[in-house]
Amino acid sequence: MLHFSKQTIYTEHMSIIRDIAGIAKGMSVTFREMFAPTVVENYPDGPGPMKGAVFQERFRGLHVLQRDENGLEKCVACFLCAAACPSNCIYIEAAENTEENRISGAERYAEVYNIDYNRCIFCGYCVEACPTDAITHGHGFELATFNASNLVYRKEQLLAPIKPMRTEAPVESTSQLKEPAQDHP
Amino acid sequence: MAEPKSITITVDGKSLSAPAGTLLIEACKAVGIEVPSFCYYPGLSLQAACRMCLVRIEKMPKLQTACTVQITDGMVVTSDSDEVRQARKSMIELLLGNHPLDCPVCDAGGECELQDMTFKYGAAESRYMEGKLHKEEQQWSPVVYFDRPRCILCYRCVRACGEGMDVWALGVQNRGSSSVIAPNQGDHLECEECGMCIDICPVGALTSGAYRYKTRPWEMKHVGTICTHCGDGCKTTLGMRRSDTGMDIVRGDNRDKSGINGDFLCIKGRYAFDYFDHKDRLRHPLIRRNGQLTQATWEEALEHVGKRLKEIRDTQGGQAIGVIGSNRTTNEENYLLQKFARTVLGTNNIDHHRTTDFAGFARAITGKQNATATMRDVATASSILLIGNDPTEQHPLLAWNIRSNVRLNRAKLFIVNSRPIKLRRQAAAFLQVPEGRESKFVAFLNGDDTAAGSLTSPAVSNDSLKQVRDQLRGAQDPIIIFGSELRGADIAALVKFGSGVRAMFICLGDYANSRGAADMGLYPDLFPGYVAADGPHNFNEEWGKVPQVKGMDIAGMMQAAKDRKLAALYVVGSNPVTDYSFDPAALQNAFVVVQELFLTETALLAEVVFPAASAYEKAGTFTNTCGDIQLLKKAGEISSVRSDFEIIVRVADRMGADTKKLVPFGKGVHADMGQSRGAQSGEADRHAVWLTANNLDPRLSPFDPMAILDEIQRLVPGYEFSRLNLIAGNDEHVTAAEHSNAGAGNGLVQIVPANDSLFTSGTLGRYSHTLNSVIENRRSTESKEVMAD
Amino acid sequence: MADLVSHPDETRVVSQRFGKGAADINRHLELDGYKAVQKALQMQPDDIINEVKTSNLRGRGGAGFSTGMKWAFVPKQSDKPKYILVNGDESEPGTCKDRLILEHDPHSVIEGVVIAGLAVGAKVGYVYIRGEYRYLVDIMRKAIADAYAKGFLGKNIFGSGKDFDVHWHTGAGAYEVGEESALMESLEGKRGIPRIRPPFPAIVGLWGGPTVINNVETLASVPHIILMGGQKFADYGPPKNGGTRLFCLSGHINKPGVYELPLGYPLKKMIYEVGGGIPNGRKLKAVVPGGSSTFVLTAEEADQMNMDFDSFSKRGEFLGSGGVVVLDDQTCMVKFALRVMKFYQHESCGWCIPCREGTDWLKKTLTRFHAGGGLKKDIDNIKYLAQNMLGRTFCPLGDAAAIPTMSIVDKWRSEFEAHLEGRPCPFEPEGSRTISELPVIA
Repeated sequence: MLHFSKQTIYTEHMSIIRDIAGIAKGMSVTFREMFAPTVVENYPDGPGPMKGAVFQERFRGLHVLQRDENGLEKCVACFLCAAACPSNCIYIEAAENTEENRISGAERYAEVYNIDYNRCIFCGYCVEACPTDAITHGHGFELATFNASNLVYRKEQLLAPIKPMRTEAPVESTSQLKEPAQDHP
Repeated sequence: MAEPKSITITVDGKSLSAPAGTLLIEACKAVGIEVPSFCYYPGLSLQAACRMCLVRIEKMPKLQTACTVQITDGMVVTSDSDEVRQARKSMIELLLGNHPLDCPVCDAGGECELQDMTFKYGAAESRYMEGKLHKEEQQWSPVVYFDRPRCILCYRCVRACGEGMDVWALGVQNRGSSSVIAPNQGDHLECEECGMCIDICPVGALTSGAYRYKTRPWEMKHVGTICTHCGDGCKTTLGMRRSDTGMDIVRGDNRDKSGINGDFLCIKGRYAFDYFDHKDRLRHPLIRRNGQLTQATWEEALEHVGKRLKEIRDTQGGQAIGVIGSNRTTNEENYLLQKFARTVLGTNNIDHHRTTDFAGFARAITGKQNATATMRDVATASSILLIGNDPTEQHPLLAWNIRSNVRLNRAKLFIVNSRPIKLRRQAAAFLQVPEGRESKFVAFLNGDDTAAGSLTSPAVSNDSLKQVRDQLRGAQDPIIIFGSELRGADIAALVKFGSGVRAMFICLGDYANSRGAADMGLYPDLFPGYVAADGPHNFNEEWGKVPQVKGMDIAGMMQAAKDRKLAALYVVGSNPVTDYSFDPAALQNAFVVVQELFLTETALLAEVVFPAASAYEKAGTFTNTCGDIQLLKKAGEISSVRSDFEIIVRVADRMGADTKKLVPFGKGVHADMGQSRGAQSGEADRHAVWLTANNLDPRLSPFDPMAILDEIQRLVPGYEFSRLNLIAGNDEHVTAAEHSNAGAGNGLVQIVPANDSLFTSGTLGRYSHTLNSVIENRRSTESKEVMAD
Repeated sequence: MADLVSHPDETRVVSQRFGKGAADINRHLELDGYKAVQKALQMQPDDIINEVKTSNLRGRGGAGFSTGMKWAFVPKQSDKPKYILVNGDESEPGTCKDRLILEHDPHSVIEGVVIAGLAVGAKVGYVYIRGEYRYLVDIMRKAIADAYAKGFLGKNIFGSGKDFDVHWHTGAGAYEVGEESALMESLEGKRGIPRIRPPFPAIVGLWGGPTVINNVETLASVPHIILMGGQKFADYGPPKNGGTRLFCLSGHINKPGVYELPLGYPLKKMIYEVGGGIPNGRKLKAVVPGGSSTFVLTAEEADQMNMDFDSFSKRGEFLGSGGVVVLDDQTCMVKFALRVMKFYQHESCGWCIPCREGTDWLKKTLTRFHAGGGLKKDIDNIKYLAQNMLGRTFCPLGDAAAIPTMSIVDKWRSEFEAHLEGRPCPFEPEGSRTISELPVIA
């Protein structure tokens, strides 16, 4: 005669219950997500310049060479990014600022600043090395190309655009300039 | 001089010995204990201003500066303790108070002593909250910029300029925290523009106009090579950076101080490399077509030259061809050129622009031992006699060594000159003699008292002449240095006097390798090693048949060209039309080939012009005016030019010559046609035997200068130096002149000194932007005044 | 011309001819002038040195080194000429004694130079007068000319067959030149920057020759020592501190002036009796005992001090140059520290890093601090800077700047704390200084 101990019955029955619970738990996620708003970006059909792509702030994408508050380039061509770069993809030629041709805030600026994205591994060492916070990682990522030479980005492609200056009332005539500003106490 | 006795001191528990009188900082350095310092610099006067070298010496109440303390027996020193480290850290903190933190922009960033010390001793976090002193950067000259806030006032520049260069163009203005280094002209410098102040600056306060903001130290490749200007052979370290056309030279300096020049470089060594990428530099072969020099391919030019030269040689014989060599091509190229002339062209018509009488010098010292001094000897000799020349202008390193020797070792300097040259300020006796009477002084030295009559003047009395002679007669192993004022028999007379006092000699010639050109036999009457062309020699065996008669010198060639007896002239790196003021019309009927960097007056007359590589773009060896041979390393690269060596080999090849005979390369080369009995078998290659004996491998390329160096070392007596030492970047002394077999002089001597100043350098100097931009250059051409005097 | 002061406790030795017109050579002769030289001419050089040694005369410039010892260091034989230098570059703040000597009794200095010359075998002396004491140059020039005219200087002085020349020279106004080796540099026509020692001036000094360099007061004491005998001079003061000394009382005191008092005179008595106490009934706060380079004393310390070299050196401090500056209880010690630092910052020669940068930094910090821009960490920073200057500079100027600063921070820390958090100086009325005058804080 078969004899089932209480323990055995309990174990067998419990396994069925556990299976049902497991399925229910799994399905609960499915059902919950079914009604939750979608997290998949609508890339590349989304709106805006990012075409729907959304990034964490920390994402390391295409580099951006920043400008200071005066619109001058922050890069002073110190070569520290090139020195820090493990894949040796940064090429710089330095030149000296002159009174007539002022590019950066310091004495020197980068006349040529190339990043070879064939080689760049987006490690961010260059950003860490930069003493003037000139080079940063942007969120650009659409780098695919049919021609490898297109992947050598020049300074012009990397530079941040010049921000429009603070809007001021347009000066209409020179006589206005001579009058003292009356709004200021 | 008795050696000072060695005494023992204890530093950080280690016991070390050094001669009495050694400075503590030097004693520590000798055993590898680093005591930091900014203001201490070996060879310059002591300052004790930076207080970085403070150490604890037992029984002294305060910390002591290791740079001023001479060691005493039993001294116990602590150079590394918390107290000492804190003292150093606080000095750095104080310095950084007013020092701008613009390291990312500063030229010195990466090779800055202040940066290094900050890393080493901390002070990373600043306690400084006050406003920093700021002053705008100043330009003192085309080559010197001064960024005042960066200056840490170590006074190295002031001392290097004053004590070292004897120019005294820098000083200190104001006091306290307003102290500032200032140039002699208030807002600009008028000096020798040597750039010593820049190199010696531990921070980025003094920066070089040529190098400023161009690159960073770690971005450059550094090549230690030889300066290509005067005959002193200073080692210069070139900073190289890649560029569109190859490798660009961005700066020349003296980083490792390992060369014969030690700390020294003049304006030429530091800046005058800049002719290499001058816009007028020849970058294509030129062939005259319809009377115009037009761009051609290498193929066309080589073919044309090879064909024409072969034609002329075969129809008119070798004596219808003349060859003029260069003072600034390498030993290998010079040797190859004369070998090419003698074996391929079949002529002894080979000469070069002689700036001094090296041949006469070789004749005078033949067979004497240790008769030539090295450049290093000048810095240690106990007494020096200088006859003629103005080393400050024409041999700046020699002048530096003389000055240092007088200053540091109290050497006695005697000067005989027709002009009041600047070195007279260091002289124990300065005898200004009428121009052209230098030889009379030599006669006087040899005991001809009647010669004194033509030497005396209000400034030079009979007694002072005798006094100098007496001192020289009693001198201990003096060095006698003479310029082109003495020639032929005068040199022989001088050597006769010098032999009596065991003197060593230096014969001063201009340009980077004029001594090499002479040693390598760019003479119509002398083979390599000053062997008489018409005397007994073994070059027939080595090279095959060579012409036995003396050739024509430059003047002879020009006359022959005028008389239409010279059908072709092959010129390498020389400008005889200007140097010898020849009538260009003389060459109108000759087939002239020129290998040059620039379109010189001679090149303008050529039928074919080959663009040659400069000395920065090729390898080889240079022999300086003293006979110190050094390795020239390839640094820069200009696409589309070729070395003189390669051009000669290629032309020879086009003429149908066997290049293996010309340049002994490849395995089993029979450089001497194997006529001699070998070591073991019947016929042996003497060159191969020599190579094996010297542990050298056969060269693989006909364009490898080392292949010719092998042959030079084998065939030119006095060139048996240590190859290993040379390749390690050191200098070796060669004594071809002492081993010469030149026979009697033949009166062919025509010496044309270059008379260059510090700011000119023959053809190359004309194309140096820096040399032409300094104001002293303009002044020196306007009036030949003695500088900074 | 400064008014002369007097007090019954004074022992007039060096100042005995003050106010008697002794700048005139004839008047000077009436007052026993030039007798000491004539006596010295009869003596052996070693006897002169021994006499000075016996007198326990110690350098009056501030360091207090035994004068006799200093002279004895000069080698007897020398290839180069020997020199006597008079250090009249009296620039220590609070010190004004040499001025009176040069003004009232220039001949005693000349006499002292000649005697020193006889003692060490020198034939030339230089009197170097501070650049700012332009008017004293005229007095000294006349005195030297008069002495030459009388045959006291030049060839065959006093018919003795010996020669001695004295020249005057003036500086261009630099405290640093008061340092002996800087003075020699200045005299040689170079920048007034100290020399590396050793070698000491006694071996290699002016123009490379062995040189004795003494303070004006030291040399002016010498003729009196020769005349009265060394022992008598020594007996004026306590053991090892021979003689009298000119003390220059200044600051918050009723009767400021120069008083000649024996060494070892109690400081308290000097302030309250000789100086007549503190004006307006205020209380004593601090005393600078000997020129601004010395440790500043609190009122309690001042009460116990005797003014001699050894009493101070026992405490690890030093007596200094005799310039006693008294500060009352209305004095802001931060302001005082700033004033002192301004002086040293201005006078630093700029040669070595700690002094050049340290004084500048301290001045800037103290300026900001006093104006109310101070932070708590600045107090420790000021002390840290001073400590790191002390003993590490090329010459004593750095120490001179560090010592008062350190002692002020240590002893009056509470006053520094009272300036914190933008509070105005507690000793200055509201609004005397506004935040807008603050230096820029980077």
